[in-house]
Amino acid sequence: MIDRTIFESLQSKIDEEAAVRDELHEIVQTLARNGRSTTAILSRAHSTPSDQLKPVLDEATREILAQKEQVTRLKALADKHPFYKYNAVWTRELQNLVSSIEICAWLGGLEEYKCNDSASFLTIEEVGKFLDIPVNLKEQDVFHLTIEEYLLALISMIEELSRLAVNSVTLGDYARPVQIGNFIKDLFAGFQLLNLKNDILRKRSDGIKYSVKKVEDVVYDLSLRKLIPKGNDAA
Amino acid sequence: MAGTKRTWDGKQLSLQPTNPTMTEPSTQILSIFETFRNELDEHHDRRERLTKISRDITALSKKIIFSLQRIRKINAPLPPHITTETQTRFTQIQSLFNSALPDLTGPNNWRYQRQLSGAVQEFIEALSFHHYLQWQRLISLREVVAKLPAEVLVTGDDYLLGLFDLTGEMMRFAVTALSAGSVEGTGGLSGEQVGIVVDLREMRSLFEALSVPPTHGLMRDLGKKMEVMQGSVEKVERAAYGVLVRGSERPVGWMPDLSGGDVGGY
Repeated sequence: MIDRTIFESLQSKIDEEAAVRDELHEIVQTLARNGRSTTAILSRAHSTPSDQLKPVLDEATREILAQKEQVTRLKALADKHPFYKYNAVWTRELQNLVSSIEICAWLGGLEEYKCNDSASFLTIEEVGKFLDIPVNLKEQDVFHLTIEEYLLALISMIEELSRLAVNSVTLGDYARPVQIGNFIKDLFAGFQLLNLKNDILRKRSDGIKYSVKKVEDVVYDLSLRKLIPKGNDAA
Repeated sequence: MAGTKRTWDGKQLSLQPTNPTMTEPSTQILSIFETFRNELDEHHDRRERLTKISRDITALSKKIIFSLQRIRKINAPLPPHITTETQTRFTQIQSLFNSALPDLTGPNNWRYQRQLSGAVQEFIEALSFHHYLQWQRLISLREVVAKLPAEVLVTGDDYLLGLFDLTGEMMRFAVTALSAGSVEGTGGLSGEQVGIVVDLREMRSLFEALSVPPTHGLMRDLGKKMEVMQGSVEKVERAAYGVLVRGSERPVGWMPDLSGGDVGGY
């Protein structure tokens, strides 16, 4: 004899979960929409000389702060549920946001959120402080930014910067490719410390070497033609 | 580097002054990444341990199912030799689940849910089959949860997928039972044989009545499982039909063919 109530309660479980998912999706969609305009604004950096970058960064910061509000909403809702159960719903958009934050910071924006002036990127703790979310939680089961998400965001940043190296030259800025080269080589060295298994992080970080090579080629071309301004190659 | 100044022995000079400024951020980055490396290593180790436990539990569950398939009676206490066999395996499974607990604290139970869910499903298949043979009833999700340590997640999805697999076991059991010849001379089906056919049909209609939204995680496996389940139910229906109609004509020891898909096994 089959107990029908077993299937009824399964159905209500499925429905409950679907309702949670829908609610999260709604926030994530707003986050994604804001994210697209952040990316669009930041991509203007590829065609804006660095001394005129300020308005672009200010505009990007406004969009990023709008995204931050969505993250706050997301956190409030996600905190009610097991973190890893629904993490897949927002992880992509959160990564995009973190990589926008990093790019914006590298270009000179978000000054007030960097603890250390000389550092050109935000550590995971600084990103967490900026977004007002915990990072890398091991005991508590609440919303946070994971190490994997942060690292994937850095990889996106590296890819974007390698493109910027090429475009800086077109803008007549011969110092920036060298800066970018030094920075992403440092990050590349960091990534090489990781023991990666066959997962998404491994796949994405395999691509870093191509970004590094792309920038090295630019720097090589410039140095061959003695175009790199003196005293600037270490900045 | 511009202006490649070199010492008398050819060493590049221009690199020297840049170094002090470069090493500063780079050591900072390296130490950050070292922390990340340790964390990721821990994560990979946990994942591997759980995957291994999961494989062991799956294997034990399959063995339980094999033992149970040797039973011929339903809705009755299990024969003693089978009970001892399954009981030791259930105990082993229990201790395997217990050994997974240190890796399932805090957010980790959901983090590694995928690593363990295969084992949980297989365990549910074994447990529900075990339960069904004794009581001819489905074990409820609450009863399953009670059999496992609280930290082990038994999701509704795992339970549902476990029940799908149960239909396959019920099919094999039913077809064997039907052919094992408890059919009386008149060619009628015994009450319990009819029972399995009815139960399977009921389960099929209940499975089919479930509505799962396309964004739900279940959608990944559901289509395939549904097809297999429908096939199982049909096999049993055909076998019951065959026994009923031609029961008296079949030779002793005849078995319906389980491999046949659309072609009946005759």
